[in-house]
Amino acid sequence: MKITKKRILATVAATLVLAMSLTACGGGKSSEYPTKGINVICPWGAGGGTDTCLRAFTNAMGKDLGQTLTVDNITGGGGITGHQAIADAEADGYTIGMITFELATYQPLGTSDLTWESYEPLCRVNTDAATVTVATKWANDNGITDLKGFIDYCTAHPGEVQMGGSSAASVWHIAGGYLMNATGIDIQMVTYQEGAAAAVKDAAGGFIQGVTVSLAEARSFIESGDLTCLGVMSDERNSAFPDVPTCAEQGYDVQYFTQRGMAIPKGTPAEVKARLETACENAIKDAEFVEFMNNNGQAISYLNAADYTQFLKDSATDVAEAMKAVNLV
Amino acid sequence: MDFGMLITSYAEVFTSLQILLMTFIGALGGILLGAIPGMTATMGVALLVPFSFGMDLIPAIGLLLGIYCGGMYGGSISAILIHAPGTPSAAATVLDGYPMTKRGEAGRALSVAMFSSFCGGVIGALIMTFLSPLIADMAMNFGPGEMFMLAFFGLSVIISISGKSITKGLMSAFLGMFMCCVGLDPTNGIPRFMTVKQTGLLDGFQFIPALIGMFAVAEVIAGVERILNGKEHTASSNEKITSVLPDWKTIKMIWPNILSGSIIGTFIGAIPGAGGDIAVFVSYGASKSASKHPERYGTGIPQGVAATESANNGCSGGAMIPLLSLGVPGDAVTAVLLGAFIMKGIQPGPMMYVSELHTVYKVFAALMLSNLCMLIVGCLGVRFFAKIVSVEKTMLYPIILVISLLGAFSINKSVFDIGVCVAFGVFGWLMNKYEFPLSPILLTLILGPMCEKNFVRFMNIHHGKIFDIFQSPIAMVFLVVAIGTIVFSIFNQRKINKREAEARANGGSQE
Repeated sequence: MKITKKRILATVAATLVLAMSLTACGGGKSSEYPTKGINVICPWGAGGGTDTCLRAFTNAMGKDLGQTLTVDNITGGGGITGHQAIADAEADGYTIGMITFELATYQPLGTSDLTWESYEPLCRVNTDAATVTVATKWANDNGITDLKGFIDYCTAHPGEVQMGGSSAASVWHIAGGYLMNATGIDIQMVTYQEGAAAAVKDAAGGFIQGVTVSLAEARSFIESGDLTCLGVMSDERNSAFPDVPTCAEQGYDVQYFTQRGMAIPKGTPAEVKARLETACENAIKDAEFVEFMNNNGQAISYLNAADYTQFLKDSATDVAEAMKAVNLV
Repeated sequence: MDFGMLITSYAEVFTSLQILLMTFIGALGGILLGAIPGMTATMGVALLVPFSFGMDLIPAIGLLLGIYCGGMYGGSISAILIHAPGTPSAAATVLDGYPMTKRGEAGRALSVAMFSSFCGGVIGALIMTFLSPLIADMAMNFGPGEMFMLAFFGLSVIISISGKSITKGLMSAFLGMFMCCVGLDPTNGIPRFMTVKQTGLLDGFQFIPALIGMFAVAEVIAGVERILNGKEHTASSNEKITSVLPDWKTIKMIWPNILSGSIIGTFIGAIPGAGGDIAVFVSYGASKSASKHPERYGTGIPQGVAATESANNGCSGGAMIPLLSLGVPGDAVTAVLLGAFIMKGIQPGPMMYVSELHTVYKVFAALMLSNLCMLIVGCLGVRFFAKIVSVEKTMLYPIILVISLLGAFSINKSVFDIGVCVAFGVFGWLMNKYEFPLSPILLTLILGPMCEKNFVRFMNIHHGKIFDIFQSPIAMVFLVVAIGTIVFSIFNQRKINKREAEARANGGSQE
């Protein structure tokens, strides 16, 4: 018996040694980046649109990188605190983050010096288009059935129609300004510091005439029939709402959307950046991520690092223009 | 209402081992998180949402609701024992809970808080089960004007929580109002009272660091002062905790407060944008106004604890109503819960009662279960928690200080907020020293932004015509109730002062 016990012990010990040496081998192989977990900064609160999208995406990135990515919500100051934290982080590739549409508004507003040039963009992950969504009862009372009807009504009644668009200087607020610039109408944007849900509720309750928020945010009331979406400000229909037409289909070429993408601090080594870009490229195709985004009604719209950088550059000027229309600057 | 389905849903939830286990874990975690100042139920729910990815919907919801309910009660533990509300919703529990501890009745205060929390939660869940569609319709009628008047009504409670001097109470309230002005203007996003680059102040003074500062840190400073003056006595730990539930005499005394608190909590919780932090003060004010002995409020009576604790747990049921039936979250926790539903492919909203009625009923059952789990964990914990009071003060204060500063930091992971917390601590200590009440500041910090946003929004929509507000019957009801509250509280306070003067003249022999 004793001998057997010893043998078992020996076998266990040998296995352990073998296992340990194998692990050590593994360790040696991954002396390349990344050798430890990566911290991911989310500039918006836990449970929100950016947070849920980012958590699903980092989960997929982690599979490719073979490391754990931990999301850290650094919130406050309209996203500035978190955006600043990404820009200020050590440029070693172990802190990355998600940058959002609002980044383009800080400099025009004068609240921060941050711009897209404060980062090395990695990829664009998601875009959600703004919409022209109105209270069904109000639309019926005024015989509005499509976007043209809405525009005509607004032209005949300048400054009367009130649309809700999330908090001041948020993407949906500015989308209203963009709509005015593009169509020449005059509507009043009402701000909702509490976020899109509050604006949607007030529109469905008849306190304001409509909202410019995304389809995902207005979804429950569109499905119940309290709200009607007249047009999506995008080049193609939303796959979750195939019946809702785009503005372009109805002869108004207005495209406006929020965007979210990954970025790293300036000065990150080129090989680290290249590795992260590959991870992003693979993560975007991850089946679990794709299914999650579809359930969530959020559109995946990938751009690689070079295209994303160009996109950020172009949109900075567009955003500043639209902000003038809603008297933000 | 489909009663057959309701019963089968309850049966399914209460017999599933996985759901029972998850909800129990949630309640335990929630109570512990809630008891630590700075760690809120919102944070707990947000942290656990990713873990619930792999679970089925109802166990996941049970876990999250367990944290929600547990956190609501947990906040009162530290409020009662160490004068540091663990969550904003426990802020009013300090008023009567802490004086009870000082008198050596910590165990009794805890059991009253737990029993009231449980009753509040159950009544809230029952109202939610049977009146959801009705209350959801009511919530839809709350526009900017109605919200403004609701906030105004909330502010009218200030007088009844002012303590001895209404003047000092109003001074505190106006100071609080003034503090609300710091940060980005909610309508146009223009920075106020700050130089451009102070990002830490863009959202104004962060509420939780300010709350922790004014209560916990201020109490530590005051405690150190007492130790230095040799006036500190370690609270008597001799209290015999014979039963973890309040005795029959106490229950008979507090049941009207529990009932009114639960109903007030549920209805305020059901209004999107108004939550437990408002409901507790309204409920406290209401129960003080209705009492024959308003002068006893604030001196450590179980009625005060019952009024606030039933209200904040009633809120959890209330907040679920707009979440499920409108898809609009009633507070921060339900906002995170909304995300959890969507992740499972279920869109809460008007259609949920049509297409997912079975799920809705299971959520009702899960909420009921969460409250039961909270009661069980709470009962097991009372004896243990009450021991904290007998810890040597020279050891307790440094621990409280460290936990407080950690909590202030962890809300936004901001070093700036530690500064805010310490500054409010010194401020709160000075206020106490000169007998300015802190609760009015707290209430204005909560209601100020709500008042401003909705007022400006109303004026915006109505092109500056303020008198349009008279066209809204709901707003008018709130206005009338608010004016009534103000008049009544002034009258009440006079009566209290007169009685106290008489008592003093009689050499205090009245007691």
